[in-house]
Amino acid sequence: MSGLLFSAKNLSVSFHSTRGNVEALRKADVDVAVGESVAIVGESGSGKTTLLRAGLGLVAPSAGSIMLLGSELSECESRELILLRRRCGYIPQDPFGCVPPTLNALDAASEPIRIADRGNRGKAQEKARSLLVELGLDDPALWKERVRLSLSGGQRQRVSIARALSLDPEFLLADEPASMQDAANRAEVMTILRHRARQGMGLLMATHDLPLAAAFADRVAVMYRGAVVETGPSGRLVENPLHPYSMALIAAIPGIGKEIKPPQPAREWPFGGCSFAPRCPFRTDRCREAPLLSPVSPSRSVACWNAREPGR
Amino acid sequence: MITMRDLSITYRTAARSVPAVRSVSLDIPRGRITAVVGESGGGKSSLVYGILRLLPPGTVLSGSVDFDGMELTRADEEEMREFRWKKAALVTQGAMNSLTPVLTVGYQVAEVLRVRLGIPGDEARERAVELLAMTNLPAGYAGKYPHELSGGEKQRAVISMAVSCSPDLLIADEPTSALDVITQAEVIATLVRMVREKGMGLLLVTHDLPLALSTCDEMAVMHEGRLVERGTPSQIVASPSHDHTRRLLSAFGLMARTGS
Repeated sequence: MSGLLFSAKNLSVSFHSTRGNVEALRKADVDVAVGESVAIVGESGSGKTTLLRAGLGLVAPSAGSIMLLGSELSECESRELILLRRRCGYIPQDPFGCVPPTLNALDAASEPIRIADRGNRGKAQEKARSLLVELGLDDPALWKERVRLSLSGGQRQRVSIARALSLDPEFLLADEPASMQDAANRAEVMTILRHRARQGMGLLMATHDLPLAAAFADRVAVMYRGAVVETGPSGRLVENPLHPYSMALIAAIPGIGKEIKPPQPAREWPFGGCSFAPRCPFRTDRCREAPLLSPVSPSRSVACWNAREPGR
Repeated sequence: MITMRDLSITYRTAARSVPAVRSVSLDIPRGRITAVVGESGGGKSSLVYGILRLLPPGTVLSGSVDFDGMELTRADEEEMREFRWKKAALVTQGAMNSLTPVLTVGYQVAEVLRVRLGIPGDEARERAVELLAMTNLPAGYAGKYPHELSGGEKQRAVISMAVSCSPDLLIADEPTSALDVITQAEVIATLVRMVREKGMGLLLVTHDLPLALSTCDEMAVMHEGRLVERGTPSQIVASPSHDHTRRLLSAFGLMARTGS
């Protein structure tokens, strides 16, 4: 287990509101090894963002454990937590909310270096400049522009990525890192992140874009309603999904000469058990009991009672 | 249904003129899905707002847009008010956020029927429930408030408002860009079904090339305000004639290779 940068085990997170508790994560298991890129894929509300935030200790789990860079998060004091987070990069989902609007692009990208005291202003800006250039923001006029006034959503997102990479993180948590990029830039941005991962950085990214995950992550974890329902090498998972929800996700992807198929609408299922059962075309009586994520081959795990039966 | 010839749209500010649409000619037939694809800033939305004449004051519009014999570029404001909703309805990317938070979804659909078609209250409410059902929102949804609906459900509620006056043309400007793939599939399936059932024309505006390719009957690619390519999806994939189309295809091809 020494090669693991991150390991969430049995992780549950619940949020409380006046209408009751919402279980955002239910016994989720996710590992990321050194140099590995893992994509968490699932629809809105499946728990992707909560998993990333819990991974940095920004949300307290209600059960389960998180190991981050060798430390058990529940045992860390706040100072230790801050030092751990400085070894990580985080790209939040909303590039409008996470880049200081009053700074110019260069100062925004170099701010983490100065806060972490890893270099003077000159050095910090030099590093920030090279990151911004690498990310395609190579116009020096743009660097001096205030983020709030002159940067588009896609440009802000690239500044946000530069901030996350500015401290050369050992582990990067990226929440929809390319969501605001157009097609050409999306590939560029993802190539940069993957390149970092190949050089030894761990990457855990959340996305609802399965083709993107398949193209740029080594491994995919599919989430549904807070639980990881399937995990495996990205190429094989996309070619041969084993969980019915993964199949539905793939059927919904647009493609050339491919009709987009919406999933079957939910049908009555008063039994609890498997959370996908209401929408599952293959459900049986056995699904009244919730299946756990279990290995079906050395590299693949599925939480479905029917997944082991061949030929389905 | 729509015959557009040499449409140009130029935005004007005190300092300068910005051409957004340059001499675009395009036909949008009834009962078919026409997609306009291109990058941000390529002029796609300007084209839509040009058809609906919802451009900022001072914008220069030239060329012609004929809608079943009506010349839209010369119609007066009163004629345009009649045209919008009844002849052509718009669903935008942020449409789901344009619902009023303090009124039920059913009330808001019924309101369109009352105001636009003069249908009395009770009947409008019944029709609203039927319209919501057509987009797979069951009877209980009419009494719900927007915050009780998911993003995809709100978008489908807006689609039922858009089709409430049985328009000839439905314009969807990035209708699913804010949604995840599963929800996108549900919304697109709803739009396609509406078009096929009601025989409307659909103008789908999107930056998402795979989405356009798998949904539309015919597509047009816009680049820097010009229409650079037209054809059926299979024609465009098989033999793209413009560099920009080839670039778009390869940008997505990178991701589609393992995805489809």
